Formats: sequence, C-alpha cells, structure tokens
Amino acid sequence: MTDDNQPRTDGGTATALPGDSHDDDHLPPRWSLKRWLVTTNHKDVGLLYLATAMFFLVFGGVLALLIRAQMWSPRAPGTGVLSAMAYNQAVSLHGLIMVFWFISPFATGFANYIVPLQIGAEDLAFPRLNALSYWLYLASGILVFASFFQGSSFAGGWTLYAPLNIPAFMPSIGATTTVFAIVVFCASITVGGVNFLTTIHRMRAPGLTMRSLPLFTWSWLLTAWMMLLAFAALLAAVMILLSDRMLGTTYFAATTAGGSVLWTHLFWFFGHPEVYIVFFPALGAMAEIFQTFSGNRIVGRKWFIVSMVLVALQSFIVWMHHMFLTSINLEVKTLFMATTIGISLPFDLMVFALIYTLIKGRIRWDTPMLYAFGALVLFIVGGITGVFLGAVVLDYEFRGTYWVVAHFHYVMVSGVTGLIAGLFYWFPKMTGKTYDEFLGKLSFAVYFTGFNLLYFPLFLAWGTPRRVFAYRPEYVGWHRLASVGAVILGIAFLLIIYNLAKSIVAGDDAAANPWPYSTTAEWAVASPPPIENFPGKPSYVSGSLEFLDDDATAAAAADGGTAATDGGHAALESGHGDDVHVDHASYWPVTIGLFTLVTALGLSGLQVGSYPSGLEGLFYQGASVLGVVGLLGSITAMGYENFTAHEGGLGEAWPFEGVENTKMGMWVFLASDVVLFGAFIGAAIFLRVAYGWTQWHPIPHNPIPGLVNTYLLLTSSFTVILALVAAQKRSRKGVVASLTLTFLLGLGFLANKAIEWVVLFSEGTGLDSSVRASTYYLTTGLHMGHVIAGLLVTAYLIWRAWNGAYTDGNDETLEYFGLYWHFVDIVWLFLFPLFYIV
Amino acid sequence: MARTKLYTGIYVALFVIATMQVAVEQIGLLESSYMLALGLITVFSLVKAVVVAGYFQHLVWEPRSVTYVMLLGFVGFLALTVAASYSIL
Repeated sequence: MTDDNQPRTDGGTATALPGDSHDDDHLPPRWSLKRWLVTTNHKDVGLLYLATAMFFLVFGGVLALLIRAQMWSPRAPGTGVLSAMAYNQAVSLHGLIMVFWFISPFATGFANYIVPLQIGAEDLAFPRLNALSYWLYLASGILVFASFFQGSSFAGGWTLYAPLNIPAFMPSIGATTTVFAIVVFCASITVGGVNFLTTIHRMRAPGLTMRSLPLFTWSWLLTAWMMLLAFAALLAAVMILLSDRMLGTTYFAATTAGGSVLWTHLFWFFGHPEVYIVFFPALGAMAEIFQTFSGNRIVGRKWFIVSMVLVALQSFIVWMHHMFLTSINLEVKTLFMATTIGISLPFDLMVFALIYTLIKGRIRWDTPMLYAFGALVLFIVGGITGVFLGAVVLDYEFRGTYWVVAHFHYVMVSGVTGLIAGLFYWFPKMTGKTYDEFLGKLSFAVYFTGFNLLYFPLFLAWGTPRRVFAYRPEYVGWHRLASVGAVILGIAFLLIIYNLAKSIVAGDDAAANPWPYSTTAEWAVASPPPIENFPGKPSYVSGSLEFLDDDATAAAAADGGTAATDGGHAALESGHGDDVHVDHASYWPVTIGLFTLVTALGLSGLQVGSYPSGLEGLFYQGASVLGVVGLLGSITAMGYENFTAHEGGLGEAWPFEGVENTKMGMWVFLASDVVLFGAFIGAAIFLRVAYGWTQWHPIPHNPIPGLVNTYLLLTSSFTVILALVAAQKRSRKGVVASLTLTFLLGLGFLANKAIEWVVLFSEGTGLDSSVRASTYYLTTGLHMGHVIAGLLVTAYLIWRAWNGAYTDGNDETLEYFGLYWHFVDIVWLFLFPLFYIV
Repeated sequence: MARTKLYTGIYVALFVIATMQVAVEQIGLLESSYMLALGLITVFSLVKAVVVAGYFQHLVWEPRSVTYVMLLGFVGFLALTVAASYSIL
C-alpha cells in the first residue's frame, strides 16, 4: 500500500497534482476548425471519435425508429412507411452503422483519450497514424452515407450473406459503396490497432507492469489484439466480395460450390470476436466504475484479467455456432457447441467478480454507477439467452427469429450502456465540466425503461422471422410495445446528449479528480489535461505515481532512449519535451482520408469490370484517377514530413524490450497481414475442398515461369539484405546499387506475371472463367499489389539513399522495409506451390 | 557485415529448395504418389518460410515475443483454414 496522499495507479486513491499550463504547443485554438483538421494529439482525436460516433448513433437510431414504425403492424409489401427495399436497406444499414460506425469507434474515442493517460504516455506511439485512423473512419462513414444516394445502399442484412451480396442479386452501385466503406473502415481499424498495441506494450511509465495495468487499459489492449486479427479476416472477406462485385470473380456466386458457406466462415471468424471487441471496452469501463463507486478493488483482479485473456483467445474458436443451420457437418457443430459453452466460463467468473466487488463495497449510486450496474444486468440477460443459441438443437429452432434479435441487442446494447457509463464517468476529465446529476439519473431511468420495453418483448415475439416486416397477428401487441420502447429509448439518448451539451456550455468547472476512491492516473492530472498530459515524467518505480523532473528522465534517455519518430525524421527526446519540440499537427492524415474517400467513391462505380456510360461513368472514372493520384502524393508527402513524436522504451516495455516502436508496429502490421493473406489462401483451399481437391488443377499450365518468379523474389530478398549490410558499412553506392537491383528484380517479377496473365487472357481464361481462375487471379493479384507497393517504397528509398540517407548510422528504415519485403517473399513461397504445382 | 556469408549461404539454400520443389512435380511424383509429393512440397515451403523469417527478417535475433506475434497470425490462418475445410468434409 502507498501513502493515500500520493496519486497512484489501480488499487488506491488518485490525488490530483496542480495542473500544468494549458499551452497547446502551437496548435490552433480549440474553437478553430483548423485545429480539428490537423491535430494529432490523442485527446483531440479521442474527442473527434466520440463526436462522430454520436452522430452515427443518431443516424443508426433514426433507421431503427423507421424499422419500428414499419413493424407497428404486420405489413404486406408496399404498405407502411417504408417500401420493401427501403425497409431492407434500413435493417441492413442500421446493423452495419451501429456495429461498425457507432459502438467500436465510440469505444475507440475513450481509448484514445484515456489509455495514454492511464499508462503514463504523452501520446500514442504514432500520432499521425492515430489521426489517419480517425480520418479513414470518417471517410468510411461518409461512404456509407453516400451509398443511399447511389441507387440503393446495401440491402441484404448486416451480415452481407452470399450469394445475396453479389451483383446478380444486389446490383446497385450504392451496395458496392457500402462494401467499400467496410474496407476503408477495416483499414482504419488496422492502423489504429497497430498504434494502440505498440503504445500499450512499449510506452508504459517506469514501474507500470502489465499486472498493475488499469483494467480499462487491459480491456482495450485485448480489444486491440482481437481487432487486429479479426478485422484482417473481415478485410479479406470484403475485399473478395468487392472483387466479385467490381471485377467479376466468382467466389460467392450461387453456382460456386461452397461459395455461400465460405462467406459465413470468413464473416463469422471476424464476427464472433467482434462481439467481444464491442463488449470488452465497456467491461473495462464498468470495472473501473465499479471500483470507484464501491470504494473497493475488484475482487479477484488477477483472475479477472486471466479471464479476459482467455475470452480473447477463445473468441477465435467459436465462430461456427453462427452456422449451425448451414451445411457444415454434425461433428464440427458439436465441437463448436462445446467451445461455445467453454467461452461462457471465464465470462461467468468476470460477472461474479463484478457482483462480489459490489457486495464487498459501499456503493454510491451516481450516474456512471447506475449505467454500469444497468449494463451488467442487461448483459446477464443477454448472456443467458445466448446459451440457447449455442446449443445445436435449440439453435435449429431459434436461428433466424426475433430471439436472435433480442439476444443480440441485449448483449451489444448492454455494451453501449457500459460505454455510456464511461461517458458520464470521464466527462468531467474530458471537458473540465461537471454534468447535471439529476438529468443524468433521469436519463438512466428513461433509458433502462425504454431499453427493456424495446428489447424484452422481442423475446416474447420470438416467432417473428428476422429482417421481415410480415409477421403473425398474435405478435402485434409485443411489437407495438417494442416500438413504444424504441421511442422512449430515443428520448433517453436525447436527454443524455442534451445534458452533456448543456454541461459543456454552462456546467460547473470540474475538479481534477471529482470521484472519491478513483485509482487511475488520469485523475491525477488537471481536467482537461494539458497537451503533454503530465507535469513531469510519470513513474511508478517507487510504488506510487510520481512525476519526475527532466534531469532524472534525461538520465534514463541516455540509458537506452532512442530516436523517436512517426515515420518522419528522428530526434532524441529528453525530459518533458522542453529540449526537443514534439509535433502535434499534420495536414497529411486528413488529406489521405479525403483522397481515400474520393478513390473509394470513384472505384465504386466499377461494376463487373466496367464503369457506367455517359456523364455518370466519367464522374466515377475521374474520381478514381484523382483519388489514386492524390493518395500517392499525400502518402509520399506524409512519409517525407518532418514530424517528431514521443518515443517509448524509457519505461516498461514487456515483452517487447529492445524492439523500437516502428519496428514493433511493422511486426504487428505484418501479423495482421498474415491473417489477411491467410484468409485469401484459406478461401482458395476451402473452395478447392468443396470443388474436389484432386479435380482442381492449377491454372498456369507450366510451373517454370512461377519458379523463375520465385528465383526473382528470393534474389530480391537477398539484395535487400545486402542494402542493409552496405548501409552498415556506410557505403552509399552499395545501398543505392542493392536497392536498385531489388527494384529491377521486383519489376522483373511483375513483368513475368504480366506475360503469364496476358497469355492466359488470350486463351480465354479470365477472372470469371471458373472459381479456379478467380482464386488464382485474385490471390496472386493481391500479392502483386503488395509487390507494387513495395516497389513504390523502394523507389522512394533509392531516392533518399542517393541523397545520403541511411549511411549515417540511421539505417532502421531499410531494416523495417526489409521486414515487409521478406514477408512478401514468404507469402509467394506458399502461393507458388498452391497455384502452380499441386 | 559479418553475416554476409551467412546470408549468401541461406540464399543459395533457398534457391536449391525452390528448385527441388518443382523437381518433385517434374519427376512425376504428383502423379505416382500425390500425398507424398504434396507433403514434400508443403515441407519445402515451410522450411523456406522459416529460414527467410528467421534470418532475413532477423527473428532469431529478436525477442521471442516477436515470433509469437507472427505465430498468432499464422495460428489464426491455420484455425480458419483447417476448421472451415473440415466442416464441409
């Protein structure tokens, strides 16, 4: 135990120190639009995420109200407030928006703001990538919005099941735009995941071990790992779907053996971890709030953390319980029923730990606690009703009914409830204002009433078929009750928004630490915290949180502290940023986001290999070209921008000590790329199994051109290594020559592939000729895309090396590029036998 | 510097293994004993991948945790591919 007068991490009482100055370090003022366009500071980005997510909550909520209005009575097509197709779009986009564009980004907002404060970091490891992650998220959201104005948005349900998702059944450009939006969203998640994993593992304050990490940060760490791997699988799925829609491949065609089951595998391999991706941040927030408002450390803290780790791992081996009604065999169904039961066990432990924490403590029923407690109650209902769906025989009855709808909403929206608890809990920290407690409690009463009036009747009307507006008349009463509940829940959200908006404008100033018994570091700094977060370097070495002065940390920096950048130029940081300027602004993330939006909008016009005719086609083609050119230019500009960020490795970095931030970020990114390629390769293998393994022959007639390409790539890997060796020998000519050879070998690889494709096309083997051809072209095409990206970087490196870079002792960039290039080589080592030999 | 010889040796070994992989097909082993040939070709690919990752990507000299990160992705791929393919057998 530590002195109660000292601020400390989890397990004690946080006492605020005097706030630092609120100098925003040359950032434009908060009222300026420019600030919000250029900021890379984690707190600003967090607020952007929260505000944007709230907008999408309203968007998705309006769609929900339209659905409930349609469900007021059983409808025949063409009756009610929505046409049949409009209803399908509302149902599909309500689900997509709430899952992708509201809940996860809402949690990301908290993570952005709170996690660096909790771990003693001044910012995330890669601030510009953090801003980029947000702008990609916004771009993807705008794409979703735009999709409604392109004929029709996607209308096949949020699970985008095949074959309904292909142009034969869903031909609108807007549907393609929706899928594109998910691709861009996945990119945003990957960039964010790499950033958070590097930050939490590498930038913790000295003395802040993994065991003493606050529970919200623990929950977000595991969320980030799950996101990294699960969203890579979803990215593969939606990229394949885009290929089917834009290029005419036939993965998910109704005539492809196993095509529709393939989609369910890919989607649910992502989809089940997504449940925990959504719920874990809420769970972390609830754990923090339960501790603060019961004045009691969480019971069985170590086992609580172990349980979260177990759930994160197990979440990847339960996905087929969503597929009990497909044609998968009984043995695998039974296996996945068992794993599903297995994942409930660690969750049980966590629920009991939360309950027992309350029993042992003295509860204060402030608004955050009300919402957190409500979230627990709702989650228990959601969890118990989910057990039915995990049992094969019961699932045969319940699948595709409103039981699933009710269960799903109890689970997902209990997560939302937990996050609203977090919103009230951290509101004073983020805004420096206190909210209206009466309005907060009133909103909870309305919320809890509306929630249960909306969702519980759906259990009782479970015989209603899902996503259909016609149902048996005996369910009318329950559906009307649900519709009334929806309106009440909507009013609750308006009350919450009103309360918080009013408080920002006219609320009382909040103390640095408004909550007795709060234990985490964010409460030890001013509300809102200054731009650099802390009045000195945070340290837990003494057993409690201290802020050290510059001299002490300069010594630490000299003892292993290394250069710190976010892809730009490096500078050694010492002290508290007084000696070296740390950047907080860049134009390039927003620019890249903008051009990503333009590119995606343009390419969405490409339908099965051709653009629409006339002015419309010209618009889409123009946008495609403008977007790609702008993207290449802005990415290059960001790479060359002089931007200095905080470096990690001065404190706790287990288990990645000695691995610099950028290198770790690259490894983490490559892990997600393993899953991306793995899903593509897995898809090809799966379709081959469905087709008949030995009846499936390679598309290229001769493996020798493939072997030549293997030689070329292996040699290029070797020349990249030689470039690094030359850099270590300080030989500029050696670096330039080796990289130029790499470039030429890569070009040779592409030329060889081009010849191979031209020959195949001339023989009439196109992307749509067969599913064999589709898998060959798309998987090797994805690999070619990686080679092209690598060559663009190589050209940039040659230019830099020619101008003297990398031979001055700073050869890390070459090493990091090598990691990528060797990975591309490794992937080919598997593609070559799979698509050319066996 | 000191590792140039090692890198060169590895490069030659990779070149040879790649050739052997195609030789398995060229000598007709796929026709005469498909499973054996498939197994050999897969093992050759795995060996090449492990060597490139271990030495060209320097995994053998990095903290073991970095290897585990990559294995996490690879296990994810295996879980998806094997379980999905088994589910339709």
